[in-house]
Amino acid sequence: MKKIFSTIVAIAIFSTLSIAQNRTLPSVDVKTLEGSNININTIENDGNPIVISFWATWCKPCKKELNNIAEVYEDWQDETNVKLVAISIDNARSMAKVAPYVNASDWDYEVYIDPNGDLKRAMGVSTVPHTFLLNSKKEIVWQHKGYVDGDEEELLEQIEKLAK
Amino acid sequence: MKKIAILFTALSFSILGFSQENNGEFHGDFDLSMQSYQEDALIGAEAADEIILNNAYLNINYTKGNFSAGLRYESYLNALLDFDDDYKGNGIPFRYATYIIDGLEVTAGNYYEQIGSGLIFRSYENKGLGVDNAMDGIRLKYSPAKGVYLKSFIGKNRTYFTYADGIIRGADAEIDLNTALNFESKTKIIIGQGFVSRFQADNNPKFNLPQNVAAYASRLNVINGRWSYSGEYAIKLNDPIGSLTAEGNNYANGYALMSSLSYSKRGFGIIAEMHRVDHMEFRSERAQEKQYIINYIPTLTKQHTYSLLALYPCATQSEGEFGTQIDVFYKIKKGSLLGGKYGTKISFNFSSIRSLQKGIKYDVNGNEVTEISSSFKNDYNDFTPKFFSKNGELFFNDINLEVYKKINKKVKATGVLAKQSYNKDVLEGKTNYGIVNSTIAIADISYKVKKGHTVRVELQELLADGGDGSWSMGLIEYTVSPHWFFAVQDMYNWGNHDIEKQLHYVNINCGFLSGSNRFAIGYGKKRAGIFCVGGVCKEVPSSNGFSLTISSSF
Amino acid sequence: MKNVITLFSFILFITSCDVVEGPYLIDNGGITPVDTSSNTYVKKVLIEDFTGHTCPNCPAAARELEAIHDVYGNQIIGMALHVSTGFAAPWTGAGKYEYDFRTEWGTEWDDFFDISNAGLPRGMVNRIGYPNEHRLGKNEWLSAVITELEKEIDFGISITCDMNGNEGTITVNTELINDVVGDYNLVVCLTESHIIDWQKDGQTDNEFYEHNHVLRSVLSDESLSISSSYTSGDIIAEPIAINLTTLEQYNIDYSANTAINGNGNSGGWNIENMSVIAYIYDNTTKEIVQVEEAHLMNK
Repeated sequence: MKKIFSTIVAIAIFSTLSIAQNRTLPSVDVKTLEGSNININTIENDGNPIVISFWATWCKPCKKELNNIAEVYEDWQDETNVKLVAISIDNARSMAKVAPYVNASDWDYEVYIDPNGDLKRAMGVSTVPHTFLLNSKKEIVWQHKGYVDGDEEELLEQIEKLAK
Repeated sequence: MKKIAILFTALSFSILGFSQENNGEFHGDFDLSMQSYQEDALIGAEAADEIILNNAYLNINYTKGNFSAGLRYESYLNALLDFDDDYKGNGIPFRYATYIIDGLEVTAGNYYEQIGSGLIFRSYENKGLGVDNAMDGIRLKYSPAKGVYLKSFIGKNRTYFTYADGIIRGADAEIDLNTALNFESKTKIIIGQGFVSRFQADNNPKFNLPQNVAAYASRLNVINGRWSYSGEYAIKLNDPIGSLTAEGNNYANGYALMSSLSYSKRGFGIIAEMHRVDHMEFRSERAQEKQYIINYIPTLTKQHTYSLLALYPCATQSEGEFGTQIDVFYKIKKGSLLGGKYGTKISFNFSSIRSLQKGIKYDVNGNEVTEISSSFKNDYNDFTPKFFSKNGELFFNDINLEVYKKINKKVKATGVLAKQSYNKDVLEGKTNYGIVNSTIAIADISYKVKKGHTVRVELQELLADGGDGSWSMGLIEYTVSPHWFFAVQDMYNWGNHDIEKQLHYVNINCGFLSGSNRFAIGYGKKRAGIFCVGGVCKEVPSSNGFSLTISSSF
Repeated sequence: MKNVITLFSFILFITSCDVVEGPYLIDNGGITPVDTSSNTYVKKVLIEDFTGHTCPNCPAAARELEAIHDVYGNQIIGMALHVSTGFAAPWTGAGKYEYDFRTEWGTEWDDFFDISNAGLPRGMVNRIGYPNEHRLGKNEWLSAVITELEKEIDFGISITCDMNGNEGTITVNTELINDVVGDYNLVVCLTESHIIDWQKDGQTDNEFYEHNHVLRSVLSDESLSISSSYTSGDIIAEPIAINLTTLEQYNIDYSANTAINGNGNSGGWNIENMSVIAYIYDNTTKEIVQVEEAHLMNK
């Protein structure tokens, strides 16, 4: 049993390392703020970079990250045409608060909700915040766990690399 | 277990076989938490026999076009003290394969599923709480027309490393009316209907038990411009626990209603919510305990993250409660008198949770046995609480105001004021503690030292007479973007009635983040208490020792 | 279209539910308790109820145990073990809950089987399920009892007591019904019923609660025989000389020496209400394969 497992893991890790370059978005349904279903792999930004940021209304660093980016989002968009998609992992307890919170916060992001963690699991997110950067082919090229003040500057550098 | 292993080896190899030609994708994530436990008689922390305990998870997912498969390896050697010790050993308790063809999605193996808000069914995982009631079975999802979503599933629920006896069958239909009927309107309506049924054989020699226990839920979601309404109503039919005692079985139906109305525009949002829950706990085996719960009644209070605000957290009493909550979010415009240069964000929250109408439970001879506050029906009782109760017992009450302000380019500050009442007897299942009333004030200030360097200070104060008395808490955190963080915090229970328990709980944490890896080490004392995530709470023991967490994704 | 049909047939197949209408009680479900008074041996089941006098939910478990006993009669043998500091420590000087019902053996078994750590009330039914699924909530006892009662027996136990005042001899005879190979232990212990003392029952403090089958003393826990193979028809006799005064004093001393909140056991045993429980367990699986109970004072 153990042997079999370690073989699987070894092979899996090996093949991952060899093909990890072109990881794309999974085909998972999320909810719009209006409650409709949408498949996450249908999000588009006309070949420009996309940032996907997992957050929750109860997560302080998440809100700090999105609030801090909100202050400079217009500049980022002018410069790189980037689009930020915020995925809330709020469950039924706080799901209804997402839309009022987003509106009140004056965010210009595209916001979706992943109430039972399906997308979260499919993308390997164990804690929030967790931020992904997608290139023109919607392949994941960079990711970052957690947020401390100033992290958005590193994110911007990565976006700029893509936008060139 | 052996069979599963062989199956998955075969599966993995075949996947690997064609992945090499077709370039499928492998990805996943890994989490490890390790903690050492030293004895600390003062805080009541016990040393673990193993000295070091360890939980680890590895998820592997494989995707190739419309096909995906994956597994999770879990290792508890042995499980951390705040986990149930039924988590023991290693295994692959989670594995699945899914494909989508012509709009039909088929999943075999393990999956997580939720119907509506989860009032009648939610299978989910939360590693922080040690909850994982994944289904093992078959699930189908199909969209026969635009805006119409159907799903149905059958399986058994996981508990630790085994599966519960009950067979769970479920179905759900959701119609997005605007899309389905293809009309453009300012009003958007979505309706949904869910159904769940549990089969478990009746082996009770004395009482008639239902073998198939059903639950239904209907939901509605209406959006009109800035207004939004959502509601859900659920009924669970008779679900006695199968006791042999004369008064042990409750054949009453369970009911749950939740409703929320919100209005929001740029810079302003308000939301009012209510729910009424009556005898609505639903488990994967009729005679089983908490860890077998398969539905979810969202807790109608704010989920706090500041430690003293979350010292006395509320948990839904699925057997019966009436809750109301109001949230207001407001952003004072930049340049106004109160808004200043950057604007000011205010959020206000009020919640109140009370019991339903009280009644009396009688025994075989018609004598009063105890007080009850939810529907109860058997050969000697038939009680249904009225919809509204004037004198419901207080379970929890919370009123809090949070103000966030960016003062200048370098300084940001958050202030919180809160007043909470916490019914320790009901919420912790204890007796003779009564209600703990507390007043809490928090200041949280961060200062940008230079590019990438930030120092943050948190000061918290909780004044209370009941419970453990008053607390103070202080935290200093220094972060260097994008890689480092360092924090020291002290929680001081200076107001404990027992002078010997007026203790400091000091914690030191530091961590290193790099892209998709995160490492953190810490040392400190954790107090015993109630720990909640997402409305589900558990009691954790006090502990003292070093901890290491590694989390990584690929 | 085929998919739609598949899906809808699936939905149809699951829309099943039962609504049971009262009266819910069926008269004992046609179960007549097996006559245990005759000379033939029958399978008996031991339910060990881990409890505590300040555990508010524990009386419900005791009532469940009585209800199971009502249905299956003397095939069900109960034992109440007061364990843990949280629920069973005496409240010295509080005017209630001052008695220490705990015993050294109860505490040992609680540690070994790791019961009270998972919360009380919990119990074991013939200790089946060890090491991972032996801790059963009260509502799981019935299913376990039904499973156990269907098992064949290899051993028959009979107990005779010969007491003269506080001293006397208990003889436990084990008769082999089949040829058996294995490592078995015989445990002999004393319980007491009808003890009236404080018990927390839900939100009320009941001063006149009747505590039944409370474990008082373990007289023996040894290998059934030195050999590990037994032949049908063998009879193994185990005579035990006892002195109740000594045993009682042992518990008083134990309570006084317990580190946390001790000194609450004042003895007060009533010999008229005491029973002897003898059981045989498999040393490998810990499963109790047979159990017997007799009044200490043969009436």
